[in-house]
Amino acid sequence: MSIIRTVDICKSFTTVEAVKNVSLSVDQGEVVAVIGPSGSGKSTFLRCINGLETITDGEIYIDEELFEKRVKGHPHVRMTKERRAEILIKTGMVFQRFNLFPHKTAKENIMLAPINVKKKKEQEAAAQAEELLVRVGLADKFDEYPARLSGGQQQRVAIARALAMEPEIMLFDEPTSALDPELVEDVLRVMIGLAKSGMTMLVVTHEMGFAREAADRVVFMADGEIGEVGPPEEFFTNPRNPRAQQFMKSILHQ
Amino acid sequence: MPALIKATGVTMELTVTSVLTAVGLGIFLALARISKNPFLSKPATAYIFFFRGSPLLIQLYFVYYGLPLIFPALNISSKFLAAYIAFSLNIAAYLAEIIRAAIQSIDKGQMEAGRSLGLSYGQCMSLVVIPQSYRRMIPPVCNEFLMVLKDTSLVSIIALTDLTFQTKMIASNKASALVYIPSLAIYLVLTAIFTIIFNRLEKKFSEYE
Repeated sequence: MSIIRTVDICKSFTTVEAVKNVSLSVDQGEVVAVIGPSGSGKSTFLRCINGLETITDGEIYIDEELFEKRVKGHPHVRMTKERRAEILIKTGMVFQRFNLFPHKTAKENIMLAPINVKKKKEQEAAAQAEELLVRVGLADKFDEYPARLSGGQQQRVAIARALAMEPEIMLFDEPTSALDPELVEDVLRVMIGLAKSGMTMLVVTHEMGFAREAADRVVFMADGEIGEVGPPEEFFTNPRNPRAQQFMKSILHQ
Repeated sequence: MPALIKATGVTMELTVTSVLTAVGLGIFLALARISKNPFLSKPATAYIFFFRGSPLLIQLYFVYYGLPLIFPALNISSKFLAAYIAFSLNIAAYLAEIIRAAIQSIDKGQMEAGRSLGLSYGQCMSLVVIPQSYRRMIPPVCNEFLMVLKDTSLVSIIALTDLTFQTKMIASNKASALVYIPSLAIYLVLTAIFTIIFNRLEKKFSEYE
């Protein structure tokens, strides 16, 4: 069963068409890596799925339920605010720049949404937050403010924060791109652990190592379109799409 | 001297009550102004334009003398009440702009992170964005507060016995301009006290950085 299914979605901004007719479905338990040159629409695509951008055409289904539908030039088919919110919390998002709440400690960052959205009791939310922080390797940072954490630690708190809402799928928007090289490893280890635990994941990334090791499928995007989809071994050893071949070459030359 | 102290009480009371009222009204105006709903943003913009664009002195005259003529039921007999209303309405316009700027200076990623966790727009504002904007509001709000503290001297034109009015009366009764010295000193002491309070507040709201 697919957790995410997009049908021909398009997103255009005033001057550019960032996403063009992208259809992709992600099944339960699947890990899909989206790669491609910068400006290829990968992040915009991800943000559409999470409702941070509004599509200009196409359909998005989350958990086989219509989340958003638009036919160009026609009014939006949108759920009620409440229903939309309910569907949305099935997706968890991790941002490139972490976006932790700086005025809250690591633990409070994680507890905020469970308490205010899921109406969890404070004690219960605190216990869950501690458990999650232990899981991402930050057992000694419960009460630390984000400013006192390294980028890698902040990103792991951000992952724990998204997990606290018990999403059905985790969306990652270049989670390691803003990190110092030596901190990337810690975050990737958490993500690989998550993938192995059966979490459904859609990951926009430049980490080919991660895509190779943890992804079930690699999606290559260029100029807002999907250029190629395939299992990682196949894609990395023998990309068929000319843009993908060019992209792989440029990466290997670094 | 006791008269001066009593008048200082009036100055203080008027400043503090009208600033506090204006903070509440200002937050509401700021949120209305950045709202996507034109029925909220347009009136808020008009309000701010009106109260920032016309002299406080005339606004004060108008509330005290003008309003009762238009709405006889609204006979504002208390000078203090009239001054309080005029000042609150006026300061709110300035504070609204300060608050709006502070809110809009918070990184968009904060709202996005909140929304992606399922928080509503209102929850994101009240739990995530506004608490972070406090620290950025405090220096300009302190500035505004000190201006108000001194601007309250305008109320002497409706003969409300604040520090300035009392000082003038004593000066003319005793025919001695020396009474201006303690009066100035009192204003400076008040200013110093409030500067310290605002600095403390700023520190408190910056703890997490």
